[in-house]
Amino acid sequence: MKFSIGMLCAIAVVFTAVPAAAEYADVVLNRRAEKEGMRPVVFPHWFHRIRFQCRVCHAELGFKMRVGSNDVTMNDIADGKFCGACHNGDIAWSPDRCDLCHSGKPGLPTGIVGGHETSGPGRW
Amino acid sequence: MKLHSLITLSLAVSVLVTPALAQKSGKDVYGKTCAVCHATGIAGAPKYGNAGDWSPRIAGGTGRLYGSALKGTPKGMPAKGGNPSYSDAEVKAAVDYMLAAVKTAAKPTATPPQNPVAKEEPKPEPKVATSTPKVDKAEPTPTAAAAMAEAVPVGDVNAFNRLLKPLGKRNPPPPEDGIHDPANDGTHALLPPLTAYAGLPKSLAGNRVNWVEAIGTKKINPRWDRTDPKAEPVVMDLNIVREVKGSMPDVVYPHKQHTEWLDCSNCHPAIFVPQKGANAISMAAILLGEKCGVCHGKVAFPVSECRLCHSKKKDLARPAQAAASVAK
Repeated sequence: MKFSIGMLCAIAVVFTAVPAAAEYADVVLNRRAEKEGMRPVVFPHWFHRIRFQCRVCHAELGFKMRVGSNDVTMNDIADGKFCGACHNGDIAWSPDRCDLCHSGKPGLPTGIVGGHETSGPGRW
Repeated sequence: MKLHSLITLSLAVSVLVTPALAQKSGKDVYGKTCAVCHATGIAGAPKYGNAGDWSPRIAGGTGRLYGSALKGTPKGMPAKGGNPSYSDAEVKAAVDYMLAAVKTAAKPTATPPQNPVAKEEPKPEPKVATSTPKVDKAEPTPTAAAAMAEAVPVGDVNAFNRLLKPLGKRNPPPPEDGIHDPANDGTHALLPPLTAYAGLPKSLAGNRVNWVEAIGTKKINPRWDRTDPKAEPVVMDLNIVREVKGSMPDVVYPHKQHTEWLDCSNCHPAIFVPQKGANAISMAAILLGEKCGVCHGKVAFPVSECRLCHSKKKDLARPAQAAASVAK
């Protein structure tokens, strides 16, 4: 009985921690955003891969392929690094459109959503 | 009275501290950072020297303005204008600089048209200022409620399997996807995934789009180069067959489909050593996000699609000895 209640709690915790419906491979970036008074950033892989091949960001722009390993600041973006290489008002919207990127729910942890690795009991 | 003395104190402090540490003046900070938004009024920022924009905010008290400038606001003002390297005193000096401009502008142009604006605006402004903390407090309850609703998946037979989403939870628009904040204006301006996926070949997992077929049939044409839309990828057509244990079909790894998206340097040599037999790959490693699992299960199709990789049927009549040596 105790065990089953414990299991239920564990399952409840797991499910509450996971946004169930988020699009596959959406990345939440909240390493700095909320500490500095902004909503977390949501990066949609799907939107970008229709327009650019993986290599553009992951080879040319130097984004490492591991969530949390890219320390992106607004200064970098203004200097044309990372997101700023395209989000400069030339190729994509410029960084003054804060709310388009900083659109995540407050309190979300940094992570990639929707896959098997980051969510639920599949992480052993 | 207290507030006033505080402000004068902080002003005095900033005046005293500024020259001592050779800090940037309010004008410098404004010119370098604040002007990006405040010169033109981007994203609802109060415009430099525009009394109509500033008067409701001034009415809220200079202390609150300092607070907004230092900590940012939910309306879009980033903390310290997005440049954390400024000291508090420098940011306050910039606020003072902008306020001074409003005051000098207000004297000669203290005209009737600005007064109605000032009268109208105080109403929304304090509302926003007071309602924003409310929003922050109120938010956890609905999200918690929504999460609880998701925690008890009554009708979802496959809810235990995160890779098989039930129909209603596939590709929702950003305001409903559980990670975007519906209270954020920008969320509603974002493209819903299904709009972008119209006409793309479907698959059973991930985004439920067959990206490899989409690029193969030119339904999408993602750029290989950041700026040059005509640059072509260097595609390498080389299949690597990996024999696997048990009755599972062998894995055929196609370089072709991978080099249509990726550079050699994305995988070699950090993830896969480019040498035959040098890479020990297991499903456990993949599920832990290593080897193929760096992408497959996160952004490329997940492991639920076994037969997309395990695609080469074994010759089951193979002598037991040979099978045993392969297993080793």
